[in-house]
Amino acid sequence: MITTVTLNPSIDREYFIDEHKAMKDQYIYDEEDLKVYPGGKGLIAAINLKNLGYADVQNIGFVGGKQGLFFEKMVQDFNITTNFIYTSNEMRNNIKIIASNPPSNTLYNDYTYSVSHRSVEELKKRFKRSIRESDLIMIAGSIPDNVSFDIYRELIEICNELDKNVYLKASGEALNRALVAKPKFVVPYFKHTHKILDIKVDKKEDYVKMGKKLQEKGAQYVIMPFHTNRILFDKDGSIYMLSPRDYCIRNLLGAGDAYNAAFFDYIYQNGFDFIEANRYAAAAALDIAEHKLVFLKDREEIEKNIDNIVIEELEGR
Amino acid sequence: MAIVKNYMMRSLNSVSYDDKISDAIIYMHKTEMPILPVVDEENHFIGTIYSKNILKNIIPEQYGFMNSQRILYDRNQAAETLAEIEDRKVEEYMITNTETVFERDNMDKIADIMLNNKESYIFVTNDEGYLRGYISRGDLLFYLLCTTDDDNNF
Repeated sequence: MITTVTLNPSIDREYFIDEHKAMKDQYIYDEEDLKVYPGGKGLIAAINLKNLGYADVQNIGFVGGKQGLFFEKMVQDFNITTNFIYTSNEMRNNIKIIASNPPSNTLYNDYTYSVSHRSVEELKKRFKRSIRESDLIMIAGSIPDNVSFDIYRELIEICNELDKNVYLKASGEALNRALVAKPKFVVPYFKHTHKILDIKVDKKEDYVKMGKKLQEKGAQYVIMPFHTNRILFDKDGSIYMLSPRDYCIRNLLGAGDAYNAAFFDYIYQNGFDFIEANRYAAAAALDIAEHKLVFLKDREEIEKNIDNIVIEELEGR
Repeated sequence: MAIVKNYMMRSLNSVSYDDKISDAIIYMHKTEMPILPVVDEENHFIGTIYSKNILKNIIPEQYGFMNSQRILYDRNQAAETLAEIEDRKVEEYMITNTETVFERDNMDKIADIMLNNKESYIFVTNDEGYLRGYISRGDLLFYLLCTTDDDNNF
């Protein structure tokens, strides 16, 4: 059983229209112009892993209100095992308006979802009993309102108690506090703030400095997004730059989630090798980015890109 | 192939044997499930808790079960009784001799169990006894519909 965690999932709706204009009513008649799907970093990674052939992939998290029932059914359509705490409040809905004339992309991101203390306690209890069959747990994404920033630290401590490794993709204060529990793999993300550990990052040197800082604070391995590259911080102190070459990016939606899923896939298929797992993960992300896909299809497509991923050492141990 | 895996709901929504009865009731309400699987600390399936069993325990015995007029008339008494048991553990009210199936089992086995035991939900486990999901009467009927409809165009 592979376990991924999504605490703040969403129902994502994409509307494809001709012209996005204020005060102009829009009518959508073609189902191709309206897409509804479940969203959340851990969940998308789970769907990717399922597509790569894993029999049992579960997603743990909160879902809210009556929309939660609809959400769970949508996730079931991908053959993911759902393990959801139902909350009283309705869950998030993100809306994306994609216009063609002129080309524009407008996202209405909903961050109103709030979860009660009772539900948080239930989640921790459920999480503890549900990860027994998993060796490596992926925890990814934002946290709902009213949930303590300590939640990721608490979940990682449960994993430590049960001798499970954690792959954490998080940002902000939830990431800062999680480091105390020493997660094995940390992938910071920072698209809203461009800050890591509350410090603004801009140049490559800033990213390198903060990657080291993440390790000092508890992360064993760090995978640092740097534009379309990744800076890799090995446990032994060496640092690498991973870059794709000869590529044409058509889409970035889902690329990061494919990276996370493929990282897991490499380890399950070949055993742990930090550098090679990242090379394979980057090849998967490239597959998504070049083909306007949201989900991975199979390993064959990933392997075609392996030779286009270059990894060079920046600093030795 | 007509195996359980292809028709089941892969849901691990469950309660623990040491959860309170009030937790189980809230969860039944939120998930719209009148029956929940009960698991141990490691998510092994150990039994089932039925809403009708909880109701039986809070409605005065002399009125019999599910007499709707009596329930309304005596709702205060039922609520008072529920208040007395809401902090008790699920294990006191769960049924442990529930029949389960494996993902690889044939759907015909589901029909046998549902018809013989009048179960509306059957829980699915793997070989090690870990909960894997459930299959409902609706799923069974859908399977039967698929076997008789050549187009399977639903």
